[in-house]
Amino acid sequence: MRRLLAALFALGFVAVAAPALAETTLEKISGTGVLTVGTRRGSPPFGFVSKTNEWVGFSIDLVEQAIKPAIEKKLGKVIKVELKESTPATRIPLLTSNQVDLIAETMTDTRARRDSVDFSLTYFVTGAQFLVKKGSAIHGIQDIVGRRVAAQQGSTNAKIIRERVPTAELREFPDQPAAFQALAQGQVQAYTNDGIQLAGLKAKAPRPAEWEIVGDFYSYEPFGMAMRKNESDFRAVVNNGLMEAIESGQYFELYEKWFGPKGEVPYPLAPENKRFLLMQVVPK
Amino acid sequence: MRYAFHWEVLWSGQSGRWLLQGLATTVELSALGWVLAAALGIVSGAMRTVPWRPLRALATVYVEFFRNVPLLVWMFFWYFGVPPLLPEAIREWLFRHGAEFWAGTFALGVYHGARMSEVIRGGIQAIPRTQFEAAVAMGLTTFQAYRLVIVPIALRLSIPPATNESLNLLKNSSVALTISVAELTFQTRQIEAYTARALEALTAGTVIYLVLCVGIAAIMARVEHRFAIPGLIARGG
Amino acid sequence: MFDLSVIVNNFAFLVVQGLLGFGGFSGGTLRLAIPAIVLGFFLGIFIGIARLARSWWISLPATLYVEFFRGVPLVMVIFWIWFIIPQLLRFPIPEYGVALTAFVIFEAAYFGEIVRAGIQSVPRGQVEAATALGLTRPQSMRFVVLPQAIRNMVPSLVTQMIVLFKDTSLASIIGYVDLTKAAQIVNNREIRPFELYLFIAVVYFVCTYSMSRIAARFEHRLA
Repeated sequence: MRRLLAALFALGFVAVAAPALAETTLEKISGTGVLTVGTRRGSPPFGFVSKTNEWVGFSIDLVEQAIKPAIEKKLGKVIKVELKESTPATRIPLLTSNQVDLIAETMTDTRARRDSVDFSLTYFVTGAQFLVKKGSAIHGIQDIVGRRVAAQQGSTNAKIIRERVPTAELREFPDQPAAFQALAQGQVQAYTNDGIQLAGLKAKAPRPAEWEIVGDFYSYEPFGMAMRKNESDFRAVVNNGLMEAIESGQYFELYEKWFGPKGEVPYPLAPENKRFLLMQVVPK
Repeated sequence: MRYAFHWEVLWSGQSGRWLLQGLATTVELSALGWVLAAALGIVSGAMRTVPWRPLRALATVYVEFFRNVPLLVWMFFWYFGVPPLLPEAIREWLFRHGAEFWAGTFALGVYHGARMSEVIRGGIQAIPRTQFEAAVAMGLTTFQAYRLVIVPIALRLSIPPATNESLNLLKNSSVALTISVAELTFQTRQIEAYTARALEALTAGTVIYLVLCVGIAAIMARVEHRFAIPGLIARGG
Repeated sequence: MFDLSVIVNNFAFLVVQGLLGFGGFSGGTLRLAIPAIVLGFFLGIFIGIARLARSWWISLPATLYVEFFRGVPLVMVIFWIWFIIPQLLRFPIPEYGVALTAFVIFEAAYFGEIVRAGIQSVPRGQVEAATALGLTRPQSMRFVVLPQAIRNMVPSLVTQMIVLFKDTSLASIIGYVDLTKAAQIVNNREIRPFELYLFIAVVYFVCTYSMSRIAARFEHRLA
């Protein structure tokens, strides 16, 4: 019994003493050789599980082909990417608790969120809309008063609906699939999320023709990759990776692969969005 | 640990109200679920001991199937799986009246009813068989014997395990967050998502659950003491 | 209406990845449940014995441990482990590690209570006899009390193991691809909730029911 207690004390001591060796994210990645990334399992085409049960998506490709090489160049060693599932409600805690080093999914960069995390440059631009059953009476944010609307818990859309249309009956789900499920069964009358995500859902639904994306963008949703605060070295590496991908055209190849006419979710890149992406690239 | 606590997030902004709403929903959900669980538990627990095979079999099937499958699966089943099978009118009515809450209540009640049933059965089996025989000998029908003699005694005997089971039900109500019921755990995550203060929010939720559970356990300990049947069983501790 | 092809087409993913834990994702109900049961039980033995210790500085922490974990929902404990341990250690823990730690810590409180009740069910005379025979306290615990206590505990132990087995479904909340999560993933694609959830309900039932049947036979032999 006494030995057990001694062991417990020792263990407790290690747990308390360990964080004293605080290291930066880059040091950590260098030490473990692993970059842990939080991404989605149910947000096609950014991160989702394919028909063959593989975890794929545009964000995952970006990390693999743009961020990973940039980190490898900086550290001068080969690293591995490890994926973990994140959702709007869990992604910030996952970052701040060191469970992941980078969030690469459909996270909107907002000023409020910048209080707790840092963002990379914007790598996708979209706005919130509604997904409804074809022929629904809902045509935009003006029609949702008193209606049952699903959103993801912790998303920017949920926050905006709560503030702008407090009379809508908001139902918040832990993740997009559950929310879509609720829409599919009529538990709710509309599901609100960023337009591109709704397009992804519709394209991947068993019968896409049954669904309709309605309304003008009622919000501005610039997606960024999130990192722990005050890690400017790491952020510079991530940004360099993104800039190089945009500059070299690799980003647009990936865009074509996922959003092109033959891609998973056809969604043409608006010329002004393309210009916006290019203008974020600062000179070498 | 390089973590600066900001406890004020718990009462600034909407957090305080969210926590209270979450607490109210948790209590409501658990209370309704408990009523259903107690009713199902008493009926099926009694049925499992009656001297008539079809009734026993029916209750056994209910208990074994429902308590052997995880509550989370039942939540999904009742919320996502069942509504499409209901007639249009009922379905629409449900959707308009908080279907997630009712699915959660139902899942909790039916699942814990099966577990409660085992508790009640244990209570009934602890009663000497002669009690039943005496009741029948006095001219009571089987139903009357159960209603007037066996079940009341069994309930008094089952207070401690039934309390445990009720607390399990209260704690398990947190699983309903997966089907968007805005109960206490859901609200702690809401605070996490809006303030990015995970530790503070989790601490608040944990403390509230602890107070609820320890409080109920303390009250039930007194109830148990009052309802203990003198001389029938020696209870230690 | 009722379409079983969704089960047939995804059977391998559901069973091999979800139930057994082999595949591209960190997952598997059995891969989590079996070590959690074994480790939780061993930790539970220590906690149960510690609660009965004569020195208050051993029994009090054990009592607090049990009361604490029996007073909070498992979902909360999972979130705690998920967000706090990596913060302390400064490096990420795989979902498997998070889930296993949470289940062992949580269930040990319940196993501890069962062990305590089991030990208390052994007549006092047994310990006295062991002492009279010259056994030390740890020896009498190990050779006399525990073997008898475990025999008395078997029914409630089995019940708790089944509870733990089912509780592993909550690991899906943190993205661990167990049977429940596997069904969710397939359902997101196919939207066939009734068939899928009913199917995994049956799989869970087959597992837990056979656990209780085997236990009943085992109990019969012990009695």
